[in-house]
Amino acid sequence: MVSIGQMDGAGDEAAGIVLAGGRSSRMGTAKADLAWHGSTLLYRTAALLTRTVPGPVVVVAAPDQPLPELPRAVTVVRDPVEGLGPMQGIAAGLLAVADRAPCAFVCSTDLPFLHPAFVRRVLHAIDSYRADLALPVARGYRQPLAAGYRTALGELIAKLVTEGQLRPGMLAGHCTVAPVDDAALLADAELARLDPQLDSVTNINTPDDYAAALRRPPPEIAVQAFGALAGASGRGPRLVRAATLGAAAAATGLTLDRHVVAALNGDQIFRDRQLPLVTGDSVAFLSADAGG
Amino acid sequence: MAAGGYFGRALVVDVQPDSVTSTVLPLDDGVLRAYLGGVGLGCWLLHRLAPQGVDPTGAASPLAFVFSPLVGTPLTTSAKFAVVAKSPLSGLLTDALASSRFAIAGKLTGHDAIVVRGRAATLSVVLVDVDGARLEPAAELAGLSAADTETALRQRFGRGWSAAVIGPAGERGVRYATISHDGRHAGRGGLGAVLGAKNVKAVLVRAGTRAPVADPDAVLAAARDLRERSFGPATRKYRELGTLANLLAFNAVSTLPTRNFTAASFDGAPRLAAEELHELRGVARNSCASCSIGCEHIYSRRGGGQQRMEYENVFALGPLCGVSDPDQVFAASARCDELGLDTISAGGTIAWAMECAERGLIDAPWLRFGDGAALLRALDAIGCREPGLGELLAEGSRRAALAVGGGSIDFAPQVKGLELPGYEPRTLQSMALGLAVNARGADHNRSGAYEADLSGELDRMHGGPAHVAAAVATEDRAAVMDSMILCKFLRGVFDDPFAEWAALLRSVTGWDVDAAELHATARRIVLAKRVFNLREGATAADDTLPRRLLETPLELDSGRTATLTAERLQAMVADYYRARGLDGAGRPPAADLAGLCLDLGLDVVDQHNSGAAAVGSDHGTQLV
Repeated sequence: MVSIGQMDGAGDEAAGIVLAGGRSSRMGTAKADLAWHGSTLLYRTAALLTRTVPGPVVVVAAPDQPLPELPRAVTVVRDPVEGLGPMQGIAAGLLAVADRAPCAFVCSTDLPFLHPAFVRRVLHAIDSYRADLALPVARGYRQPLAAGYRTALGELIAKLVTEGQLRPGMLAGHCTVAPVDDAALLADAELARLDPQLDSVTNINTPDDYAAALRRPPPEIAVQAFGALAGASGRGPRLVRAATLGAAAAATGLTLDRHVVAALNGDQIFRDRQLPLVTGDSVAFLSADAGG
Repeated sequence: MAAGGYFGRALVVDVQPDSVTSTVLPLDDGVLRAYLGGVGLGCWLLHRLAPQGVDPTGAASPLAFVFSPLVGTPLTTSAKFAVVAKSPLSGLLTDALASSRFAIAGKLTGHDAIVVRGRAATLSVVLVDVDGARLEPAAELAGLSAADTETALRQRFGRGWSAAVIGPAGERGVRYATISHDGRHAGRGGLGAVLGAKNVKAVLVRAGTRAPVADPDAVLAAARDLRERSFGPATRKYRELGTLANLLAFNAVSTLPTRNFTAASFDGAPRLAAEELHELRGVARNSCASCSIGCEHIYSRRGGGQQRMEYENVFALGPLCGVSDPDQVFAASARCDELGLDTISAGGTIAWAMECAERGLIDAPWLRFGDGAALLRALDAIGCREPGLGELLAEGSRRAALAVGGGSIDFAPQVKGLELPGYEPRTLQSMALGLAVNARGADHNRSGAYEADLSGELDRMHGGPAHVAAAVATEDRAAVMDSMILCKFLRGVFDDPFAEWAALLRSVTGWDVDAAELHATARRIVLAKRVFNLREGATAADDTLPRRLLETPLELDSGRTATLTAERLQAMVADYYRARGLDGAGRPPAADLAGLCLDLGLDVVDQHNSGAAAVGSDHGTQLV
C-alpha cells in the first residue's frame, strides 16, 4: 500500500481539513453526529485523514456547534461567522494550518467511503499540475469539498468571502485550478485498484442515502496476530470484514487495550478502536510490550 | 543499624598476586536511599572507587557485584544483581544485570555489594562468604567454557557456593566478554574482560546470614499480589513465547535490523520466529530463582542438545548477519554462551566485518552475509583472539572500524562503542534518542523508549518533543527498576509504577519513600552515570548514532521511507538535555551535582568542562 511518504513535494507535509458545519437540512439531523460503525461520521472522516496525511488535521465547525467525540490528534477550528457556507469554512481551515503545512486536503463530513488513496491522488495532483487547487471532477461533478488546496489560498478565500463571493466556483478566476477527472484520478494504479468506482466522493444527503451507506458491507481487511496473540486466531494472515480497528481486533479474537496494539499496513501503530479501515488495509496485532 | 533489606556495607576485595585483602566500605542510609542498589549503587561505587582515567583492564579498575534491598525477599523477579565497571568497550560506565541464585547468595554474604580490584598472579577464583574473602588458584579452569567452569567449581567447592564466571573470551580480553551465572549473562560492555584481566575466572559466594525486612507481613502480601499479577496479560508474551516473539512482529513493522542495518525486514525471519520454533523445537521453559514469569524458552537443536534462545541473540546472529538457518543461529548462540561473548556485540561486530569483506575493506573473502558457517568461524576466531581477524574483531566494531578505515566507522553499528540492539532507530525514533544519549551506549535495557514508539501514541518515524519526553520517562523507569531491582519484564503489571515501587520499598526498607522521591532518585541515577562518563572524557559528540542511520533513508515494505537526519536527532538530543536540566554540552549544573551524594568527582567534571587535564585524582582509592 502506498502512503503519503511516497509523495513528492507539498503532499509530504499536507494537512487535513474537515468541514463539520452546514445545515444538513435534507438529512434533518447534523451529519457530524450520524452514527457510523461505533462512532460518528465526523469521527470517521477526521480519523481517516489522521491516518493519511502527515500534517495536522483540523475540524472546522460553526461558532456554537456541538461536536461529537473526535480523534485525539484532531483540533477544532471555529468559523468566525456562521452561515456563510463552505468557502468560509475552507478559509478558516486553511488559515489554521497555513504555518504548518503547504497544502491540505479539504473535505466535507459526509464522505463515508473516502479512501486514503483518493486523498493521496488529489494531493499529488497539486504538485504534478503545479496548481493552487486540485479539483476532482469525479462522476461528472466538481468536488470542491473533496479537493486539495494550497494553504496560501486561505487569505484569498477569506477576502472573497468578505466580498460576498461565497461559491467555490468563484475561485477559478483567482488562482490556478487543475481539474482532475475520472480518468486522471484512476490513472493512479493504487486508486484504481482500491476504489475503482470512486466511491470516495459518495456523499450522503438524505436519510435514504445514509441507510444505503450503512447497508454496505464493511471493507475486507487482511489481519494477522503475532506472538502470543496468535493463539486466538491462529497464525498467518486471514481476511475479515471490518470498518474499524476495533472490529478487526474483535474478528481476530482480540481487544485493543494497554497490552495489544495494531500496526496498520506495516507502518504506524494504533490503539484507537474507532480508527477507520478501508479496502486494501492490512492490520498486524502485536503485543504492546516489545521488551527483548 | 541499616534499613530493612540492607546490610549497610560493601566488601572491597583487593586481589593480590596470591591472596586477597578485603575492606569493608560502610554504606550509610543516605547513600543507599539515594541510589537504592543495583545499577544505581553500582554507579555510586564506581564514582568512589574507580580512579579517573583508570584502564578498565588495569589492576586498579574496580568491578562491582551489586545487590539490592529486594533481593532475597519473596517478591517475584527480585533475584537479580548488577555488575558495574568501566567498560573496556566504551571506556565509560557499563552496568549489566543477571539473575538467580548468585544474587541471593551474594547478598547473604552480608554485603550490599562486592567489589573486586587488583590482579592475581595466576588464574584464580575469589570466594566470599560471611567470614570474608579468599583467593584460590584455579589454573585447571583455563580455557573452560562458562558452563563447564560452573560445573567444575561445584565439584570442587560444593553446591553451597554460587559462581559468576567468565568463559575463554573473558580470559583473553575480548572487549565484549560476559560474566555469567547459571547460563544467564551480565552481557553488555565487556565485564568479562575486566574480571579476566584480574586473572579471576570466577567469583563465588555463599549465603550465611539474613537480611530482615522492615514489614514482613506487608512484603509477603505484596509478593502474593505481584505473583498473581505476573500471570496476567502483561507478561503473556514472555510466558508463552519469550522475547523471541519480537522477531516476527518486528519484521512485520520494519523494525528488525538486517544485514548490518541496511534493511529493516528479513526474508528469512519466519524460519527463526518463536512461533515456528515453538511448534517444531520447543522443549521447555525455565525461570530465574524467585521468578513466576518464566520467560526462558529452550529449543532442541538438530543433531542433539538444547539451546536457550532470546530475541537479541537471534536478531544479532540471524538477520543482522543475514543468517536464516535456525540451527546455525542456535549453534552461534551456543558458541557465544560457551566462549562468554555478548551476542549483540558479537553479531554486530561480525555483521560490520561481513560488510567490510564484501566491500573489500578487509581480507576475508569467506566472510559473507548469510553464511552461517562463516559466522561460526568468526566467533571462534574472536573467542581465541586468533591473530588477524580474530584480534581485530575482539576489539568491537568501533575500534575495528577505526583500525580498518575506509569509512567503515560510518556503518559500524555502535554508540559509544557498544553495538546496537535489535531495534531499528529510523523506524523507532524515540528509541533512536534513547540509544544516542544513554550512558552505557546503544542499549535497550537502560532506555526502553521503543515502548513509546510502539504504543500508538506518537508517530514513530518522526521524532520530536513527544519522543523526547517518552525517552526521558522510560529511562527514569529503567533507572529505578534496575536499582531496586525488579525484572523489567514485570513492568507492564504496574498501573502507577513509581507509587507502587515506593510502596514495595517502604515495606522492605521502612523508609517513608514516596513516588516523588523515586522520581528524584531516577533522575539522580541517570545524572550520576552521565557525570561518571563526563569525568572519563565523554562529550556531547558521543550522544549520537552511526552516520548510516542519519544519512541513509530506509525504504520500508509499506512503501514509506523512514528518515532520521542528524538535524532531527540533534534537536531531540538538545531537548533531552533541557529536559534533564543539562547545559548545551550535556553537562549538569553545579547545583545538581551537589545532590548526587558523591562529594567527590564534582571538581573532575568542572576540570573536564574547562578543558583541564583532570588526572591524578585519588578520590577513588579512599575508603571511608
